[in-house]
Amino acid sequence: MDANILVETVEDVFRTMMNLEVSPIESTLGSSHGALRSAVHVSGSWNGALLLECDGQQACRFAGRFLSMDPPQAVTPLVCDVLGELANMIGGNMKSAVAMGLSMSTPTVSDETDAAMPICEGEVQDQFAFDSADGPFWVTLLVEKGSEGKLSLCQQRAFSTD
Amino acid sequence: MDILLVDDSKTMRGIVQRAIRQAGFRGLSVTEAENGSQALEVLRKEQPKLILSDWNMPEMSGIDFLVKVRASANKVPFGFITSEASAEIKELALSSGANFLITKPFSPEMIQEALSPILGK
Repeated sequence: MDANILVETVEDVFRTMMNLEVSPIESTLGSSHGALRSAVHVSGSWNGALLLECDGQQACRFAGRFLSMDPPQAVTPLVCDVLGELANMIGGNMKSAVAMGLSMSTPTVSDETDAAMPICEGEVQDQFAFDSADGPFWVTLLVEKGSEGKLSLCQQRAFSTD
Repeated sequence: MDILLVDDSKTMRGIVQRAIRQAGFRGLSVTEAENGSQALEVLRKEQPKLILSDWNMPEMSGIDFLVKVRASANKVPFGFITSEASAEIKELALSSGANFLITKPFSPEMIQEALSPILGK
């Protein structure tokens, strides 16, 4: 997949849904980059996952913009729901550019305090840091190792989104 | 009931309702359901002017919901609002009886364009 498609999709989602301009920046994932991780898994002829990661306060600011309200003071199920929807929109648009006939999971949002927590047995295909007026966030495309048409979903601590 | 809005995300149901208002459709009665199964229960009691549904939902997906609606000879206008953006998904939706498909991310203008022919604005 052309990495530009992923970047353009992210820019479009944030611009359309939150009136927020974002752009890719040079930055590598660090241990302090994120406290929340939203993921959608894609399966079929191509198996992998799309991750959206940012810290909790950033997620609260995104939720405020998305819902046109003051940002919540703490990470709530509502904040997780917004982060999940953002990953869902990016993933849904991304998968149509990857291959035909792919299925996508509903989003899960997990606390990343357990840094070793795996998402799937995947390798990073693309990873972008984005900057915005609200601060940075990361988007990662994982491709499952040795894919044989099935995606290994890993255990995650998922927030309820309702 | 004017619109039956089906989405497993409470957040997205709120966003869609806001977009409907921003598109100029005010004062509409909107009933919400979290998935296709729940929406079918609603339809047993009342007929909306329009159904707006997500595609990717637990318990019963949007396309399964649409197929069941059409199988019951219900011809209510049906539109998807989904992040599923591929041509094959759109083709499947339309061939299964959907009237339109709006891709997320969406703007109020996109909502207006899709809903106007049905709701008469």
